[in-house]
Amino acid sequence: MSTNPATSLPPYAGIGLRAPHIARVRAERPALAWLEVHSENYFVDGGPAPAALAAIRSDYPISLHGVGMSLGSADALFAGHLTKLKELVHRIEPAAVSEHLCWGHIDGRHLNDLLPLPFTDEALGVVCERIEIVQSALARPILLENVSAYLRFTDDAMAEWEFVAAVAKRTGCKLLFDVNNVYVNAVNHDFDPLAYVTAIPGEAVAEIHLAGFDARGACLIDTHGARVAPAVWSLYQATIERFGPKPTLIEWDTDVPALEVLLDEAAQAQAILDTCHAVAA
Amino acid sequence: MPSLRELQRSFATAIMDADAAALGDLGIVDNGLDPAARIAIYRNNVFGNYRKTLAATFPVIKRLVGKPFFSLAVDAFVRAHPSMRCDVNRYGGELSLFLADYPTARVLDYLPDVARLEWAVDQANIAADAAPLDVAALGAVPAEMFAELRFVLHPSAQLLQSRYPIFRIWRVNQPDYVGSDVVDLGEGGDALLVFRSDDGVLVERLSAGERVMLAAIAAKRAFGSVAERASEAEPGFDLSDALRRYVQSRAIVAFRTPIVTRTENHP
Repeated sequence: MSTNPATSLPPYAGIGLRAPHIARVRAERPALAWLEVHSENYFVDGGPAPAALAAIRSDYPISLHGVGMSLGSADALFAGHLTKLKELVHRIEPAAVSEHLCWGHIDGRHLNDLLPLPFTDEALGVVCERIEIVQSALARPILLENVSAYLRFTDDAMAEWEFVAAVAKRTGCKLLFDVNNVYVNAVNHDFDPLAYVTAIPGEAVAEIHLAGFDARGACLIDTHGARVAPAVWSLYQATIERFGPKPTLIEWDTDVPALEVLLDEAAQAQAILDTCHAVAA
Repeated sequence: MPSLRELQRSFATAIMDADAAALGDLGIVDNGLDPAARIAIYRNNVFGNYRKTLAATFPVIKRLVGKPFFSLAVDAFVRAHPSMRCDVNRYGGELSLFLADYPTARVLDYLPDVARLEWAVDQANIAADAAPLDVAALGAVPAEMFAELRFVLHPSAQLLQSRYPIFRIWRVNQPDYVGSDVVDLGEGGDALLVFRSDDGVLVERLSAGERVMLAAIAAKRAFGSVAERASEAEPGFDLSDALRRYVQSRAIVAFRTPIVTRTENHP
């Protein structure tokens, strides 16, 4: 493992590494700038998963992406979960640690999903307090990811982008800006996605996510089960033009395709980043 | 305006119990799609996620009962045994208990034991690692001390017993299995060892002597007592051969010599 671990991800394209591709990535070491894994998949005592991650870590910067911390729950954080994340961060020395802007448990019961928060002052206070606890436990800023939502609450006191910007400002956390989730919410809740992009402080954005959605129902559903949609590529281009080149991840979790498909999507993101690098140079 | 806790409580109730009052308390914006339909999207996501996760942990149960029944059973399980952990990967340990009482599953009365086996396999895959037993050090133990040794199983090792031939049921339902998938339920029960070797998780059938030997080792008994119990359970049981096999397969990973107490002068 590196003695001087990267403290940030390189501003190039990476992929989310899922179980079906671990053996091939270990063996072939495809040319990717970095990889992201779900933190919880490595909250284990031993066995093949942590061994594979340690091997991969010696070849790639790693981003640890959590899906279970539930930063927006009225319940306190699960202390055991935070301890496990802390141990994993210590072991892997990741270039980034991210969590979602959502809630997942109440009264001790977990729904194990990324559930939507009301954009109220109370929720803002709760999320900021939890982020500060996590950042203090890990002794580093975390990246906060905006999630897809299929409903809004009548009690919302501010827009999603105002809430996100306020959290970043109050806690000093970085943002994992999910362009697909912005697009899905813009369609589901009738707003201009560029207004969202414009409201976000670009210097706080430390990573971008791209994924595919399912458009078969009444709402766009964020399935991570398809190629990035053309409209999302356009929004990504606009996002990069505004924020400058940012580490960009292709996420695919449902019906994970061949590694080549992910590499192809990453190459498309890289082509957009390259244009931006060229303009900046 | 409900507090965040009240809102999240109502949300959880609306998802789990399709509760109309809870839905009303939530204050969901309609905007062209009925709030009930919006909550239904989350309900589908939440239950779909549990079905997918539990199908990955219990593929044989799913195969034995079929996908529609499996989905219904998972939904009922989630309501009866809610997840209490942030990490969904560790959810499902109580499925065996649940199936034992699930009325429509009682026809297949071996299901709970098969679920126990699948959970054991899942747990074995994530248990702590262990270095192999130091064979040279074991060879250096004086013969007269051997009866006092306490062997240690691999952290992943689990012993299971069933009245049903669950090993064969499990085996013929593996994706790589080739051959007849007929199982004679009358062939009797199984005693099994589940543990993780260098090649992955192994499930092995145990003879009466092996079962008693491993259970006694798991109970931290001295090897002399292990020997007595094993030969009682299976006359003619070759204990040293079994020990060699389990050390080689790494089901046994260490031994402890008796603690030698020295007389010390306490002030």
